[in-house]
Amino acid sequence: MANVIGSSVVIDGEISGDEDLVIQGTVKGKITLKESLFVEGSGVVEADIVTRNVEVSGSVTGNINASDKVELKTDGRMVGDIKAPRILIADGATFKGNVDMDR
Amino acid sequence: MADTNTIVGETILVKGNLQGDEDLTVQGRIEGSLSLTRTLIIEQGGIVKADVSVNNAVVSGVMVGNLTATDSVELSETGRMVGDIHAPRVIVVEGALFKGKVDMGNLETPRQASTQGVDHKRPSFAPQRPASRPHKAPSAPAAPAKKAAAPAKKTVTVTKKAGSRSKKKVVVKRKRR
Amino acid sequence: MAAEPPGVIGKGIAIRGNLSGGGDLIIEGTVEGQISLKNHLTIEETGVVRADIEAERLTIRGEMSGNITATERVAVLANAKVVGDIKAPIVIIEDGAGFKGGIEMDVPLPDGLI
Repeated sequence: MANVIGSSVVIDGEISGDEDLVIQGTVKGKITLKESLFVEGSGVVEADIVTRNVEVSGSVTGNINASDKVELKTDGRMVGDIKAPRILIADGATFKGNVDMDR
Repeated sequence: MADTNTIVGETILVKGNLQGDEDLTVQGRIEGSLSLTRTLIIEQGGIVKADVSVNNAVVSGVMVGNLTATDSVELSETGRMVGDIHAPRVIVVEGALFKGKVDMGNLETPRQASTQGVDHKRPSFAPQRPASRPHKAPSAPAAPAKKAAAPAKKTVTVTKKAGSRSKKKVVVKRKRR
Repeated sequence: MAAEPPGVIGKGIAIRGNLSGGGDLIIEGTVEGQISLKNHLTIEETGVVRADIEAERLTIRGEMSGNITATERVAVLANAKVVGDIKAPIVIIEDGAGFKGGIEMDVPLPDGLI
């Protein structure tokens, strides 16, 4: 069962774990995961993120460090730096920040 | 040993220190202190205002005071309690109202709900006492069979509630061994 | 909007911080801090929560330490281990639960008893 932070939940603090996490609500702080992070349309993340994959359809403000891939989907919005070996930014996504793809 | 059971009937008020080695069912009122090596049952309508030390307690009436049990305490649906509970097993049934502390001791010791036959150690007598009719004394008379010259262990003042018809019985019997 | 399904914080997730919100939440992982929910919080058997909790309803099967304030009810089920104070109109403790702390419900007593 996936971990889901529902749309009306607000978390202020640090989240860590070795499972996938789906964020539909608001998280401020820090996220460290071994697997994948999905920030859905209603999700708002103000945090530095360290994980394997990130898929953003909502809003992320903060730096992302992914060991595999970062994907900003069509309605995704991000402000911050991305460091990942693979990056996809879809048409319609908005992004402001630096990108570092050095392995 | 026969499971004798003492009943404090609904018009009885006992004030003082009470001790015994048998089950005690309270339909009336006890104030003071109460110490049993067996089970205390406070029926709905019964009131105990005392510090209580027992093996098991089932509270369906009112309990005010601290309750220490070596085995279990159950606050049943009509139970109302104010005071602290110290017992390894405590059950608060939906409907019970409680205010106080609960201490089950060391929470690390594995505990399981009792699944063997007896869930609570209710006394084995069948409670058929009509609510407000005079009832006979419980098998007390037979009790004296075992005796022992136990010195009177309790000071009890049995007072009838003002205005009540005196038809009571109970009483607190003294224990023997 | 239809009620959304409960949020889930799985076994492998740890959260340290404040959690608030309007939905139901199921905790199977670890949460330390403060929780304030409008609805139903369930701490499953693998859940470990060290937090003060405010919620409407709380069902505990795992471990919890902290103070609980619920507007409707709190159920501490068998095998749960709870340390802390509970204030709620209805509190249920199942046989087999482990609990240490205070419980405060409204207890109407006959006059003159206390």
